[in-house]
Amino acid sequence: MSKQAKTKSPQHRVPLLELEGLATSFFTQRGEVQAVRGVSLQISPGKILGIVGESGSGKSITCMSILRLLKSSGKIIGGKAMFEGTDLFTLKEEEMRQLRGNDIAVIFQDPMTSLNPTMSVGDQVMETILRHKNVSKAEARARTIELFELVRIPSPESRLNSYPHEFSGGMRQRVMIAIALSCDPKLLIADEPTTALDVTIQRQILTLIKDIQARMDMAVILITHDLGVIAEVTDRVLVMYGGLVMEEGRVNDIFANPRHPYTQGLMASIPDMSGKRQARLQPIPGSPPDMNAPPTGCPFSPRCEHVRVQCSQELPPLYGREDANYLVEGQSVRCWLHHSDAPFVEGVNSPDLVQVER
Amino acid sequence: MGEKPLVSLRGLAKYFPVGGSLFGRNKQLLRAVDGIDLDINRGETLGLVGESGCGKSTLARTLIRLYEPSEGEIIFAGDDIAHLNEKQLKPYRARMQMIFQDPYASLNGRMNVRDLIAEPLEIAGVGTKESRSKRVDQLLERVGLNADHADRFAHEFSGGQRQRIGIARAIALEPDLIICDEPISALDVSIQAQVVNMLEDLQNEFNLTYLFITHDLSMVRHICDRIGVMYLGKIVELAPNEALYNKPSHPYTQALLASIPVADPTARHEVVSMQGEIPNPMDVPSGCRFRTRCPLATNKCTEEVPEFKNIGEGHFVACHFV
Ligand SMILES: Nc1ncnc2c1ncn2[C@@H]1O[C@H](COP(=O)(O)OP(=O)(O)OP(=O)(O)O)[C@@H](O)[C@H]1O
Ligand SMILES: Nc1ncnc2c1ncn2[C@@H]1O[C@H](COP(=O)(O)OP(=O)(O)OP(=O)(O)O)[C@@H](O)[C@H]1O
Ligand code: SF4
Ligand SMILES: [Mg+2]
Ligand SMILES: [Mg+2]
Repeated sequence: MSKQAKTKSPQHRVPLLELEGLATSFFTQRGEVQAVRGVSLQISPGKILGIVGESGSGKSITCMSILRLLKSSGKIIGGKAMFEGTDLFTLKEEEMRQLRGNDIAVIFQDPMTSLNPTMSVGDQVMETILRHKNVSKAEARARTIELFELVRIPSPESRLNSYPHEFSGGMRQRVMIAIALSCDPKLLIADEPTTALDVTIQRQILTLIKDIQARMDMAVILITHDLGVIAEVTDRVLVMYGGLVMEEGRVNDIFANPRHPYTQGLMASIPDMSGKRQARLQPIPGSPPDMNAPPTGCPFSPRCEHVRVQCSQELPPLYGREDANYLVEGQSVRCWLHHSDAPFVEGVNSPDLVQVER
Repeated sequence: MGEKPLVSLRGLAKYFPVGGSLFGRNKQLLRAVDGIDLDINRGETLGLVGESGCGKSTLARTLIRLYEPSEGEIIFAGDDIAHLNEKQLKPYRARMQMIFQDPYASLNGRMNVRDLIAEPLEIAGVGTKESRSKRVDQLLERVGLNADHADRFAHEFSGGQRQRIGIARAIALEPDLIICDEPISALDVSIQAQVVNMLEDLQNEFNLTYLFITHDLSMVRHICDRIGVMYLGKIVELAPNEALYNKPSHPYTQALLASIPVADPTARHEVVSMQGEIPNPMDVPSGCRFRTRCPLATNKCTEEVPEFKNIGEGHFVACHFV
């Protein structure tokens, strides 16, 4: 937390990526799936932005849109993605390909399906380097060994010739990280990088990402459904539901004073590890929306305990501090309860704040 | 506690022959479960945690005789079922059920929900077609689905709903023991709590005994009465819930607990992450099998297998330094 206090807030640095109003749909036989319905986010160099949310809420599709790696049925139907001053959505495919793996790198959840099973892990890393950098084979090899050391693959030289199936899940994920880092990216997108791994290996990988990120002043977007992971490593958090950003803010603020009923429900449904065993968990009733036919109005309204008539009629805007003074600087919340005429609901729009160390 | 345990495992082992030529020459033994003594008491929830590949699922599957045990005894309700043949096992099968991680893969996609839930009843030859159908309606309601759902197919349901179908199937025969193998790992966080609460309610209602396998250490903390920590085919620590979390005594348990990410950004902690990875189960280290990653390891650990000692109040640890 002291570290948090020392670093400047992201507003003080020029964002590396500014995504504005992203809308992405899939056009399928069953009709249009509105996977992302207007998502904006920013990220600055040296920062980690966490994205949490329900399964199917559009986390991966947001990132795949930024990378322009959507399946052919998926189309970006609105928005801009300004990366160092250029809109990624207007680049030619060839220019985009140059950027991917170079300035912007990605790690997926399942390292087995993203690695080529018929090629040694060393060759896979070298191939990426040779594709993007103007270096000799020997240089690429030396760089690969360096990267394996960086991601702590023991005796890297002798492991260059191993095949993916000879590595454990944690080791394979480290190879993926090595590939992602091979061209010194400015932005790393990590989609559930540790979900398939055990806590001990997860810890190693998260520490590794954080380490490298700080050293290289890299920006990271980290998708996970694990609030513990979010709390441990991110600077800012974006909470998604039904293809929309429901709440955004600094990690400490979101955990201390979540102001969206979904964020609150999410936090309440995880077991408390600090105190005694709870008698009972507090789940959110109901199930997530079908994005083929998302509910009108607030997508959370069918499950929300505070739902009012207006909620299921009209989509609430993202409210910020200028709309409600109990929200803190940089926190925004998409919920009608932050409208100035909304009734008082304890904990959601009450002015009492849990004080957060800055 | 005076009651006899529902399940007692004695020296239970499961080895898989792997590798080697087509004709079985040079086959090596993979010791997935390597000698386990464990009691599961009636009505309790026993948690089993440990890294991927340490043998949790193999232990569970051997216990309910989906696998043939390589060695040891499985005393279920007083009878050793380790070597019974399929016919002799039939009455026991109904009393032990399993809930799987991936509710989708474990449900037959061509059957509708009614048939899926009726299937275990049918196999066990319980009741008539009508009475079974009635029972299915009750079960659906019990797990929070309704009769409209009965004619649909599994792919039409969300993950949480599918897991409810899996649970309805598992409780259909009112078993004594249910093995939950990562039952919530594939579910949304907001849905996990729904399923866990339901499992707890059903346990109270039917006096069920659970063996709960997971690598989510915070859920284990919530749901389990006792917890066993497994490493490379063996249980290295076994303790009542509170004792395990408040006084973890095996260096491996300590490392596991320290690695859990805590959902509190003001409590960020630097953890010296445990070095190395699980050794190859075909080449288990001599002495203490954790020694290759243990910060405390000495020569003694290489030479002697640590005893699984009782350190009081049902707390057992296998480490030379406890
Ligand atoms: N190829 C596709 N065709 C049709 N719909 C799709 C396709 N890929 C994704 N979707 C839909 O887009 C929505 C958003 O999906 P996305 O993968 O971004 O979710 P997510 O938040 O990453 O979820 P998870 O936590 O499960 O990974 C979902 O409703 C999903 O069903
Ligand atoms: N049918 C099999 N044949 C050969 N080896 C097997 C078989 N099933 C499991 N194994 C091996 O036995 C060991 C234990 O596997 P098991 O599936 O029991 O682990 P687990 O603790 O359940 O892991 P996870 O958390 O990943 O589910 C692993 O090394 C695995 O590769
Ligand atoms: S807008 Fe209405 S339904 Fe949506 S979260 Fe707020 S109170 Fe609940
Ligand atoms: Mg995803
Ligand atoms: Mg398993």
